Amino acid sequence: MKIKKILVANRGEIALRVLKTAKEMGIKVVTVFAEDDKHLPHALFADESYSLGSGALSETYLNKAKLIDITKRCGADAIHPGYGFLSENAEFASMVEKAGIIFIGPTADSIILMGDKIGSKNALEKINVPMIPGYHGDDQSDANLAKKAKEIGFPVLIKASAGGGGKGMRIVHQESELVESISGAKSEALKSFSNDKVLIEKYVVNPRHIEVQLMSDTHGNHLHFFERECSIQRRYQKVVEETPAPNMTQELRLKICETAVQISKGINYRGAGTIEFILAPDGHYYFLEMNTRLQVEHPVSEMVTGSDLVKCQILVAQGDKLPYQQSEIKQKGHAIECRIYAEDPDNNFMPTIGMIDTIGVPTLRDVRLDCGFLDGTEVGVNYDPMLAKLVVWGETRELSISKTIHSLDEVLFLGVKTNRDYLKRILGHSEFVAGKTHTHFIPDHKSDLEPKNLTNDNMAALIAAMSFSQKKKAFSSSGIEILTNPWTSLTGFRN
Amino acid sequence: MDKSFTINGKEVKVQDFKHQHDTVTFTFEGKNYFYSLISRDGHEMVLDDKGGRFKAAVSTTSRDGETMVIAGGKEAILSDAGKKMKKAGAHAGGLASPMPGKIFKVLKEAGAEVKKGEAILILEAMKMEHSIRSDKDGKVKKIFFQVGQLVQGGVILAEVE
Repeated sequence: MKIKKILVANRGEIALRVLKTAKEMGIKVVTVFAEDDKHLPHALFADESYSLGSGALSETYLNKAKLIDITKRCGADAIHPGYGFLSENAEFASMVEKAGIIFIGPTADSIILMGDKIGSKNALEKINVPMIPGYHGDDQSDANLAKKAKEIGFPVLIKASAGGGGKGMRIVHQESELVESISGAKSEALKSFSNDKVLIEKYVVNPRHIEVQLMSDTHGNHLHFFERECSIQRRYQKVVEETPAPNMTQELRLKICETAVQISKGINYRGAGTIEFILAPDGHYYFLEMNTRLQVEHPVSEMVTGSDLVKCQILVAQGDKLPYQQSEIKQKGHAIECRIYAEDPDNNFMPTIGMIDTIGVPTLRDVRLDCGFLDGTEVGVNYDPMLAKLVVWGETRELSISKTIHSLDEVLFLGVKTNRDYLKRILGHSEFVAGKTHTHFIPDHKSDLEPKNLTNDNMAALIAAMSFSQKKKAFSSSGIEILTNPWTSLTGFRN
Repeated sequence: MDKSFTINGKEVKVQDFKHQHDTVTFTFEGKNYFYSLISRDGHEMVLDDKGGRFKAAVSTTSRDGETMVIAGGKEAILSDAGKKMKKAGAHAGGLASPMPGKIFKVLKEAGAEVKKGEAILILEAMKMEHSIRSDKDGKVKKIFFQVGQLVQGGVILAEVE
């Protein structure tokens, strides 16, 4: 069955991303919006758009019944959940399918399986997917724990079984520290969680976060679109992603991608998915988790493979075969994505708000700005602080870095403090340029990533710019010019 | 004329400031600067500093008299010190909300002893929690809000004496 009309159950840049591909395929698009989003482009540029009302997220973008009701009423055949929100909600996926609507995503069973940390590990161990070596057993005698630690190999991490938040956690670098660390971890665990059971895992020094993009159809084809390097993170959120992963042999790359495909086949997966791995400096890699949705950073894979992953998702959802063979998918050049957040990286990444006067337009070739805002729209407090994704393709990694730094100066997001300058500092850092990325990059290079002091010449230029702008606004007594919002005049434009 | 500005919270002074037609001249840290406005398109403009041309942009929405300015690839928050309004956060002993949000937790009651840096309440905004910490050793004088209340940015949430 050909899909003729899709409802996008999401907002911002990802709603627009789905809209774009649907338009390329001649499919009609319906979007939904919470009242406080009614001026954003996802609420304006679809074939039809419906209000979800206002209030808590559970009343708007997370309101399953309301979304299904709108889909039925407007006659859409399918729902695309985007990422976040209901994209990995098994209950929603099955509710959608029970209502006779196509869910553009995996089956509810896959979502449940991969959402269960322990269950998924057990299932994948059976098909020989490498797991981080560890001991989670009941024999808690010192002798046994010491034996297991030696089998795993140092350094190891000892942590409370019931734990979290770093309590009862010890990194042990050599055998001589072992006995003391085990008893220390046990007594801390007992104090914090009333349970002294500990587990031992291999501790990976300077790990990298490598993930593989997968796409499977319902005809037994399981393809990979190569890997992405996503190690540059702050507060466990990715900031910069790229592909191909730097400093990785072709042999290792293919091995990791093969492992990911093996997982997809092993669980009979459908649609777009991503396997996240921890990669140790010695080339060993371990399964971390599977994301059963389209990822935020999917565009870098699209750029180097020349594919449209949303199109693949739609084709798979309507029962078609994937339009590629694995051998036809090749990596060409290099792509980097920077996430532009409304935040102040120099003040503990505190979120910021404001009205965007001017976003700006990247001018170089093969540069894509996936953005959910328009000039004159407001960045509020109710949603994720990601404003846009700047995705840049270059023939080489070096060119992709220099083009990204140039493009970051073109997307101003004037009016809202963003992490733009911080991103330039990351991309310009000698260790990043050398491809020495790992998940502790931001904390390890904290002092290097601090803002450089403005020079006197910088300050003089800023003063001059401000002075020129003030002259123009001499009429306003308060010194503050109020912009009229062009969208407020569009009352009754859509309901 | 002497003029002062604040740039990213730091006050700077310039001398012999003149703004005539499309030129701005002043002396800053002993150096003479001359700028001319080449073009303007909306918020963006092109300036010339006699050494070369560069792009600049100035936000029209300002908060407490502060304006975001971008010039030659550098971004900063500027205010004309003469026009600067009093910032709520500068209130003596008052701890202001950094942004609009909702009071998520109140950790200390009025009368409680607090150390500098200790969290007094937690504000939830942009899906994250932000601790509002005491700026000195002392005693909580008053908490102005309760759990669940919505607050604007820059509002005094608590006072420590």
